[in-house]
Amino acid sequence: MTRTADAVVIGGGIVGCATAYNLAKKGLKKVVLVEERYLAGGATGRCGAGVRMQWGTEPNCVLSRDSIKIFENLEEELSYHDSIEFKQSGYLLLAYNEKMVEQFHKNLGLQHKLDIPSRWVTPEECQDLVPHISLQGLHGGTFCHKDGHCNPFKATDAYAKAAQRLGVEILTYTKVTNLLQDRDKISGVETTAGIIETPLVIGCAGAHTMELGRMVGVELPIYPERHQILVTEPVAEKQGPMIMSFYHGIYCQQVPHGGFVMGLGDPNEVKDYDEDSSWQFMHEMAAKITFILPALKDLNVVRQWGGLYDLTPDKTQILGAIPEVPGFYVAAGFSGHGFMIAPVVGELMADVMLGEQPKYPIDMYGVKRFESGELYVEPSVV
Amino acid sequence: MRVNEHPILNFEKGNKVMFYYNGQQLEGFTGETIAAALHANGVRAMRESIHLHRPRGLFCNIGNCSSCLMMVNGKPNVRVCVEKLEEGMMVETQQGKGELK
Ligand SMILES: Cc1cc2nc3c(=O)[nH]c(=O)nc-3n(C[C@H](O)[C@H](O)[C@H](O)COP(=O)(O)OP(=O)(O)OC[C@H]3O[C@@H](n4cnc5c(N)ncnc54)[C@H](O)[C@@H]3O)c2cc1C
Repeated sequence: MTRTADAVVIGGGIVGCATAYNLAKKGLKKVVLVEERYLAGGATGRCGAGVRMQWGTEPNCVLSRDSIKIFENLEEELSYHDSIEFKQSGYLLLAYNEKMVEQFHKNLGLQHKLDIPSRWVTPEECQDLVPHISLQGLHGGTFCHKDGHCNPFKATDAYAKAAQRLGVEILTYTKVTNLLQDRDKISGVETTAGIIETPLVIGCAGAHTMELGRMVGVELPIYPERHQILVTEPVAEKQGPMIMSFYHGIYCQQVPHGGFVMGLGDPNEVKDYDEDSSWQFMHEMAAKITFILPALKDLNVVRQWGGLYDLTPDKTQILGAIPEVPGFYVAAGFSGHGFMIAPVVGELMADVMLGEQPKYPIDMYGVKRFESGELYVEPSVV
Repeated sequence: MRVNEHPILNFEKGNKVMFYYNGQQLEGFTGETIAAALHANGVRAMRESIHLHRPRGLFCNIGNCSSCLMMVNGKPNVRVCVEKLEEGMMVETQQGKGELK
């Protein structure tokens, strides 16, 4: 069966759903979203869904700052009758050596220039914010009360339902198997449910976006890397802010349901598509989190799982047109922070795909930067 | 009810001990789980469901399902189906999700 569409969005994570919603909102009539698994079945449904403005590069600060403004009113904007569970009780970033203290102060300088309400906190102030935190080795931290975390399933669902109301067709359990070209230009996509003819395609397929690039002969520097995460049994509310330590490579939050969600980055992780979880992770996670938050030692773990980061060489996303293939756009390579900037990314991508001026320039996120060497190395990732 | 004979498993009855259930003094045996001792004393409701506050009793009985979480010696979320009974234990119905001390 062959059908036609004005645009095809590949990937049903938060980025694909937000982009499809914004395309339809801007008046595009026939938008089709194609998802291999189920909505939020990729990184989105596996992520920590932490949302923070405290970054070390201007692009990430701006994208997350403006996305948080959208998250604050997302239920209203999307007429969502459920809750996206946006818990805005701040993010506390912890420093465990002098080098980090220095980096954090540098970040604060940048953040303040961009009107981000973050501040330095002493170890004692850290304890005022999170009373069960251990002071051992702690040099202090930075805190921004506007940061927080969401329920990633609900946020994706909110975008998807709003998109469908605007006429977007969502095909789940359907895989894009090839991209079709007329000379260089995109002419359609081949899927497991037939061909869709379209002049406009956007790849929002997380780490798999690299494979989409290969279908049209483009090498996108995006690599998959597994990250693991777990959730504990629920307990009465104990922790407001999300905590994060780059020294230990971990983050930990208590979601509104009461469970603690925590994960860590393993620098030795092999770069492939493995999404399994391991007992080694559980072991290391438990050791590190009980060093920082000893009270958590009595909590039982309910579940652990893995998901893929889509990494780029400078840990900054690739957004925009692929010049060699007119009609082909990419929003991927989010390097572990694509959830929190998805609301703005969805708007920007809809603008550029429709040939409109985006609300801020996005040329610097283009894939050409890896040739020209104008990279934005983000220092603040786990 | 208390299982004394079983075709495959051995149930060795330990010493008689005394414990408290919501302040009430009851008897059980070392070597059995808290849940077994409660059952033998006719207690079937172990916890309340979180949203509708309905009684919850034994379900999986192997430490997986969270249906039997109780407060034991002040500690919340103890799975009484796999926790062994000890002399003088304070076993209480847990209110809400339990506080992490
Ligand atoms: C453990 C973990 C913790 C994280 N924590 C955070 C955090 O705290 N904050 C934050 O902002 N970000 C976090 N991230 C990153 C975040 O999850 C991602 O950046 C974000 O979800 C990206 O969304 P996406 O829509 O681009 O990708 P995805 O959600 O991965 O969606 C891509 C979709 O494309 C589909 N797909 C792939 N190939 C095809 C094909 N050929 N045809 C059709 N469909 C296809 C996949 O099935 C998938 O559903 C975390 C990630 C992980 C793994």
